[in-house]
Amino acid sequence: MTPLSALNKLHQKGLFGDYKNKNEIISVSELKNLKIIQIFHYRKSNIKISSINLDNIKFPENSMQVNSNDETRILWNGPNNWLIISKNKDILKKIKKKCDDKNFAVTDLSHSRTVIELKGNNSKEILKKGCPINFNEFKLNNCANSVFHGITITIDMTDENLETLRILALRSFGESLYHGITDACLEDGYQGI
Amino acid sequence: MLEIKCPYCGKRSQNEFSYGGDASVKRPDLEKEISDQDWDNFVYFRNNPRGKHSELWQHISGCRQWFKVSRDTVSHEIFKTAKLNEEL
Ligand SMILES: [Zn+2]
Repeated sequence: MTPLSALNKLHQKGLFGDYKNKNEIISVSELKNLKIIQIFHYRKSNIKISSINLDNIKFPENSMQVNSNDETRILWNGPNNWLIISKNKDILKKIKKKCDDKNFAVTDLSHSRTVIELKGNNSKEILKKGCPINFNEFKLNNCANSVFHGITITIDMTDENLETLRILALRSFGESLYHGITDACLEDGYQGI
Repeated sequence: MLEIKCPYCGKRSQNEFSYGGDASVKRPDLEKEISDQDWDNFVYFRNNPRGKHSELWQHISGCRQWFKVSRDTVSHEIFKTAKLNEEL
């Protein structure tokens, strides 16, 4: 069985909107086949979170912080709570080895999220149109949970030179979020890839 | 719009939060005889002060944590926010 992505019938490739230079416009894409795992560390656990290493990545302990390597990113999601986003299909096995079920709640959310990636020099400007986060202080390897036109989203900044933002929302909100994002992009045009 | 300082995430816009009622209400002790009047007061009756008010808020679209806020109900000025196990 092949999994169908959330925007499977919706996302269109090509150039849209009022662009002036098509080499400088924002690209909008759907990220597929990512493993998305939520981890909760029980309050009564005796394990120190700083002692855990997942593929040489530590769990971030400060708000908005992301620790990462080439294939896996660990996002701070709240106190004792993280979101792991990985290209590695076997990451769940690795996590379960490090985080046993006496001390951690590990939930696979891969099937239940839509992931949209914005890439371009003004990606933040798109989100500013509907999200109250202070993006002037939003840097590389920052993440935040917030809202975009009333939809609860998680934002993860994966590149700073060419501003790259991943936006995650519940899969059922994917269509609505996609329309919101692409509508915000129309002013300066976007490329669906 | 209010800017509320979540004790975990820092200053965020009000529309990431939801209001959770009066923070000074205490549940009657367990395993203790309690009159209908006291239970009624706990469940239904709230003060509606003009001025400083202790409130519960949840950062529902952020870190999802509950915390306490001391807020002026007239000017909406927020004096302090604190984690649930801290003093306001
Ligand atoms: Zn928060």
